[in-house]
Amino acid sequence: MRRREFVSQGCAGLVAVSPLASWRFRSQAPWLLVPMDDVQTDHLKAYGLTYRALKRGVKAEWFLNYRSGAFLLPSDAGTARDAALAGVLVEPLDDGQLVQIRGGLQGGNMDAVPLEKPPKVAVYAPPNAPPWDDAVTMALNYAGIEFEKVWDAEVMGQKLKTYDWLHLHHEDFTGQYSKFFLNYAGSAWLVDMVEQNRAMARTLGFPSVPAEKAAVAGAIANFVDKGGFLFAMCTATETLDLALAAAGTDIAASYADGDPMDPNATARMKWDRAFAFHNAQLELSPTTPVYSDIDGHQVNSPERRQPLGSYTLFNFSAKIDPVATMLVQNHRQVIPDFYGLTTSFSRKTLKPSVTVLAEETGAPWVKYIHGEHGQGTWTFFGGHDPEDPQHQIGDAPTDLSLHPHSPGYRLILNNVLFPAAKKKELKT
Amino acid sequence: MPPLSRSCLWFVLLLIPARGWSQQTGITRAFDLERRGDYAAAAEAYRAMLTGKPGDVSALLGLERSLLPLNRSAEILPAVRAALKAAPSSSAVYGIALRAWAAADQPDSVRSVAERWARIAPTEEAPYREWGAAELGRQNRSAARAAYLRGRERLGRPDAMAAEMAQLSLAEADYATALREWLLAVGRLPGYRATAVSTLGQAPQSARPELLRLLRRESDIVARRIEAELRARWGDPLGGFGVLTTVLPADRVQAIAVLRGLLDQLRTLRTPGARRTEGMVLEAIAARSPEVQASRTRLEAAQAYTAAGDRAAARRMLGGLADNRATPRSVASDAATTLVGVLIDEGKLAEATGRLAELRPTLSADDYDAIRRRIAFGWMKQGNLERADSAIAADSSVEGLALSGHIHLYQGDIGRAVELFKEAGPYAGDRAEATHRTTLLALLQPLDRDSMPELGQALLQLEQGDTAEAAAGLERVAAGLPASHGGAELYLLAGRLSAASGKPVEAERLLRAAAVKEAPSTAPAAELALAELLISGRRGAEAVEILEHLILTYSRSALVPQARRKLDEARGAVPKT
Repeated sequence: MRRREFVSQGCAGLVAVSPLASWRFRSQAPWLLVPMDDVQTDHLKAYGLTYRALKRGVKAEWFLNYRSGAFLLPSDAGTARDAALAGVLVEPLDDGQLVQIRGGLQGGNMDAVPLEKPPKVAVYAPPNAPPWDDAVTMALNYAGIEFEKVWDAEVMGQKLKTYDWLHLHHEDFTGQYSKFFLNYAGSAWLVDMVEQNRAMARTLGFPSVPAEKAAVAGAIANFVDKGGFLFAMCTATETLDLALAAAGTDIAASYADGDPMDPNATARMKWDRAFAFHNAQLELSPTTPVYSDIDGHQVNSPERRQPLGSYTLFNFSAKIDPVATMLVQNHRQVIPDFYGLTTSFSRKTLKPSVTVLAEETGAPWVKYIHGEHGQGTWTFFGGHDPEDPQHQIGDAPTDLSLHPHSPGYRLILNNVLFPAAKKKELKT
Repeated sequence: MPPLSRSCLWFVLLLIPARGWSQQTGITRAFDLERRGDYAAAAEAYRAMLTGKPGDVSALLGLERSLLPLNRSAEILPAVRAALKAAPSSSAVYGIALRAWAAADQPDSVRSVAERWARIAPTEEAPYREWGAAELGRQNRSAARAAYLRGRERLGRPDAMAAEMAQLSLAEADYATALREWLLAVGRLPGYRATAVSTLGQAPQSARPELLRLLRRESDIVARRIEAELRARWGDPLGGFGVLTTVLPADRVQAIAVLRGLLDQLRTLRTPGARRTEGMVLEAIAARSPEVQASRTRLEAAQAYTAAGDRAAARRMLGGLADNRATPRSVASDAATTLVGVLIDEGKLAEATGRLAELRPTLSADDYDAIRRRIAFGWMKQGNLERADSAIAADSSVEGLALSGHIHLYQGDIGRAVELFKEAGPYAGDRAEATHRTTLLALLQPLDRDSMPELGQALLQLEQGDTAEAAAGLERVAAGLPASHGGAELYLLAGRLSAASGKPVEAERLLRAAAVKEAPSTAPAAELALAELLISGRRGAEAVEILEHLILTYSRSALVPQARRKLDEARGAVPKT
């Protein structure tokens, strides 16, 4: 590096030392760069800053693979103020510096994706779900991204078409209450969950909770088919596909629908209806809180439970495959794994069309997958809470202000901003 | 001896230990592999040993341990079968066999092995206990219970495996059954009492009356002791002591043992009620102890009573102890020191000074100075600042300087107080005291005045616990000072005091007076305190405005991260702490 460059970059660094410095320099530069590498003071709130800028009608850009997925925002007073309040580091850029960055983007495996419209976000959750039991809700709350809650009545009432992005967390779309029914019998939270689901099934005119959840799964698949963006974590990933593939086959235990599971259910599954998985073996025992061999870690089966390792994000070509590239933007490439009712996805059960975004090297499972369905896309991320690896029922809620640089939570927020990207023609 | 025979003998002599050495090497190597975490290699090494000696319990246990972390526990089955053939009457092998079949999820085999073992050892609980444990390993509590009950029936003893049954009932939150089982278990083996009390002590509030009712139905001392100790754990230590006094054995040694059981429970609690009961139990122990031990125990009782604030009882215990010639010297000295402490706490400072003078020859210089400072502190709290000053006039320790700083501060001698606090430095007293002095220095340094009697008076009122008068006094002083020269700091302190004493309207007024741009070093703290006050008053939106102002206006303040955290809380972005 030549001395002049060093001095100029050093000075830029000094300006960007704190989120507040940029607040003071706001009038001097036309652009603000939100770096997402290790200098960033709050990676998670940086997504909220960008989202709120879009919400104010500002046009932003996502510099894929540049400084771990930096954002470019116009340097208006509102953005600078918001950054200072949120504690997000922004670096003022003049036009010359921006031209230099764009030149760099052209040359390497990088690209600039315009972000145009803030996505309208829905989180699928029962009305009384605690706000701290769902990683996405926590991430959205912490980052300051608006969302609305929907549940079965809204899904069945065609409300999904008013949203761009839908998130599912640890819901059980097989209608078996996460298969906790027998092991946690009598627990107040389970009693509530059962009663609430039964009441909703009755209200919607279904004979049982599994039948009603199957219809909800169908409506969600329809949402994606029509162009919606779906993001699911934990057991929602596996049970959504099981509910879709069951297609009339009884895969629910007798406590859920009054009759036992079809012993030949595995052979009767219609996997072409599912998003991501095929050829999975279903768990027949009603007392084992495991659904199938889709989950590689089998956390609730003492004999089959696998230890946690770490997962590695794949590199994609930013110019050829911008969608996958957006979804893996991160300042860490290897991230510690975390359990959930569904922690990971067995490679042998993945459909060939699935794009693997992250895997545990050498393990028979992957962590983070993506694919298309009709006109929409889906992304599945295994595990419950990236910052609570062993998550147990009753654990204290995760406080994201203690994890502002969480690489796992960044993956969730990549998904939230990804629908804001303006679609552009692929170059191949 | 012919040469050949001699060499044969040497060969035989070498061969005998060599076999044992080889066996030893095998187990040592396997242990070493296991210790290093190479469980696969360790398992192979244990297996190799078992090939030659299938009934070797050490190797079999090692194999079991090594397979567990590999999640391959069921692979031990062939070795277990061979071991059962080789050692058909070994209890250890049967125990391993039970766990192996349980790990392989073969309940029929578990049952059959347990039955075989029970036939070999018809009077032992071990087969049933291990059977139950194996079922618990499979998370099958009902099968475990069935195993224990079968054992109870076969052995013909209703108290067999009572501890296991109790634990099982506790796991199912059936506290009443657990209690009944614990009573059986403790009746048979008194050592279980501590476990019984510790586990039953965790019963939820709602289950406790029923447990106490069940205990009261029992008449023996086992039930009374459990009841007394449970009452102590559940916040009724005095009730626990009352239960015990009615059943104390006449035998002194036995009675002391019973009382010490309760004392052990009480010593885990720090409430005044528990400390007072501790004093009563110690008093009861002292009454049953030989004289030399009794004086030490009475002293402990006095200390417990003092900690509980029961000064009359403390004095009763100490009465005569300090002056009694029969009391051992060390106890007499401690008793006198404790008595001085009681007198200080009672505010009888002149009497305490007199006792201290008498005690002086028996005390070390450090102990003497420490008590003298306590007396000076007592004078200071009473507002007798001159007496306090003279009491520590000759004390040049850092603690003495710190105390002297306080006395000068309350006299309104700000300049000298600042000097003394600086001289005392950060090492006088505990961390809280050092932090308190630093806070005072921060308050005093901007004042730019050497004498402020009204401020001293207000701070003395604060020391004496009169928060309302202190806040009013601080406000009066603040009104006469520029904000940048201590006025804002004093408003902030007054605001905090008002907030802490539940006067939000006054607190808000004072904190707003402190949050002015003329005092940029005080304003962030005042705004943060104001925001906290508003949040507690459910005025989140106003708090958000204040916090945003703090972050944007005082961007370099060290309080900005705390303000952001509060802002997140006010907006519901993070869980409340």
